[in-house]
Amino acid sequence: MSAAGAPAHDQTRLADQLEAIVMKKIANDQLVIPALPSVAARCLSLLKSPDFSIREVSNILESDPMLAAKLLKLANSAAFGGRNSVTSITNAVTRVGAQHLKNLLIEGSARKLFESGDRHIAEANGKLWTHSVAVAVVARDLTAICGGGEPDAAYLSGLLHDVGKPVVAAMLLDVERAMQDMRKRTNWINGDEWIEVIQRTHRKIAVSLAEKWQLPDTVMRTIRDCEEYDNADRLSASNIVRFSNALVKQEGIYVGAVAKDDNDALVMIGKSLLGLDDDAVKRGAAGLAAVRKQHP
Amino acid sequence: MTRILTVDDSRAVRMIVTKQIRDLGFDVEEAEDGLLGLAQMEETKFDLVVLDVTMPNLDGPGMLTQLRERGDQTPVLMLTSESKRSIVAGLMKLGISDYILKPFKPDELRAKILKALKQEPAAAAGAATAEEEAPDPTPAAQSVVSGGSNRSDAAAAKPFFDLLVIDDMENVQKRLRQLLPEHLTLAGAINGQTAMTLCRERIFRVILIDSDMPDVNTASLVKSIRLLQPSAALALLSLRTTNNVLGEARELGLDTVLFKPFTSEGVEEFLSKYFDNQELVVKEDDLIRVAAFKGREDRIPGYFLRVSALAAKTLDEIAAACFAEAIVDLSRLPAQSAKPAALVIELGEHARKVGIEIRIVGSPEVIQLLRQYSDTAGMTVFPTVEQARGAGAAA
Repeated sequence: MSAAGAPAHDQTRLADQLEAIVMKKIANDQLVIPALPSVAARCLSLLKSPDFSIREVSNILESDPMLAAKLLKLANSAAFGGRNSVTSITNAVTRVGAQHLKNLLIEGSARKLFESGDRHIAEANGKLWTHSVAVAVVARDLTAICGGGEPDAAYLSGLLHDVGKPVVAAMLLDVERAMQDMRKRTNWINGDEWIEVIQRTHRKIAVSLAEKWQLPDTVMRTIRDCEEYDNADRLSASNIVRFSNALVKQEGIYVGAVAKDDNDALVMIGKSLLGLDDDAVKRGAAGLAAVRKQHP
Repeated sequence: MTRILTVDDSRAVRMIVTKQIRDLGFDVEEAEDGLLGLAQMEETKFDLVVLDVTMPNLDGPGMLTQLRERGDQTPVLMLTSESKRSIVAGLMKLGISDYILKPFKPDELRAKILKALKQEPAAAAGAATAEEEAPDPTPAAQSVVSGGSNRSDAAAAKPFFDLLVIDDMENVQKRLRQLLPEHLTLAGAINGQTAMTLCRERIFRVILIDSDMPDVNTASLVKSIRLLQPSAALALLSLRTTNNVLGEARELGLDTVLFKPFTSEGVEEFLSKYFDNQELVVKEDDLIRVAAFKGREDRIPGYFLRVSALAAKTLDEIAAACFAEAIVDLSRLPAQSAKPAALVIELGEHARKVGIEIRIVGSPEVIQLLRQYSDTAGMTVFPTVEQARGAGAAA
């Protein structure tokens, strides 16, 4: 991705070509969807059984020092009432429980998708991740306020609602490099066009990824049913994430252009759909201040 | 008189809307579709239109378009089962004030009507009351108050409780109930889900959260409860350990700690931080009963201070109710130091100030104690309430 260079009409043409390439890959099932990191995949597979072996899960987790450290940090946090410090992975797994361990594994795996060796992509993905975290925090807090289910499940759904975007970004980078080599070009589409292409194509890729990673149903539904609210299930996690997404966009925590009228309509509809008054929305969005602080 | 037009092809919806508007004290007219709505708006000036989207002859967007084309900027509140964002975005461009998705709760309709009219709920309630009281109502409901709020009156209607205990052990709630003064209301939850439901339905003053519940992320639960009960004091229920439990509680965003197993002193000390109005003083017509002191000895001065303030306030109430005398039952007062004598003197002075007489009832120990001080030595102190009452009747 280059910030500028080629004339505008060339850029538009390139963006169209790029989109066509991505769509063709999707249509021909030629997508290379990133695999779930091996440690996470093996653990999640074991955790499907209610009688999973804590020792077996712990052994796998110990092979990934970063993940093991994160788990220990979580288990020793105030969140889990850690009076006595936990030092073994086995005890940490016991303390946090299966559900929180699953969420930790999925969140960590998703976070990796947003990392990139390319400076431009890393920067753009960083902003995408901030948006995702903001949506997750608001979705979690609004779920608590309106009683739409498990706040943690809404958090995970919010965090992963745009998980297809970094995958498309990485794919675009590969295509860009191939085309540059081919044409000996030094210029590429600008940042806005790049984001536009991602916005037009990421949803299908996200669905494929969610299927491949066997993400929880709540997350899957949130990714898939993204266009309109579902009136039949007013307090569903999908609806809450959709509303949170619109609210976060209104707050300007987003990458790319926002269709303001559409977005404002989503906020207005969502407030009634979820039964939220202005005060409740304000309380639900209060967590954004911390997100802004952590991700300036 | 504020006048509202409801336009909807469903008679049932019009009836519900009409009832809610009338309950707010406003005038309301009905129309079955956009054409009839436009016709009525040519005849009458309305302050607000509650408009459906899908209707025969002329739908809501069509009516709204024509309304704006003829320069009519009457506020419009959409009430519809249509939730497609493109349609609502189009309506927003035409300047709708707000939107309600069917099926709706009457609370939401009332709140949004008031918001669109820029009126506070209390103002509208006042308008309704004024109408009920006066056959020819003043246009109170027409007064436009700036800065209208969207506060749902459902929130105000939530029942109030003093304490909520969230602990997976049911006995914790039972034990705490035994140690609480009777007048304090207590609710209990044995898991996070029940706690959240209770927090959505009620308002609590103090919420106690167990530090170690199975399958509960205490930090998440605390955050969620904070969102639902922003005004409540939150405390951690914890076992006594050598750890810095208060530090842990603060890290979780909690205000304080109540240690388990409970002691009466510990509970009393905890309650004293949040509840100043424990039933230390109970009024029965012209009788004031002062409750016994419970707790650590070093808290006795605080007890006397509270009793003095509460008893004085109660004397005011008795005087306001036109009793000429009051009986103050101090028989359960701790007979220690000069404090009972000082209390009796203070109450005597206060009674004189408000123009009533008091008769004191005391235990033998209290009577003995009062005799030791020159200011109270000559005072008649009755051993029972009945005797004090009898003396009053004889006089």
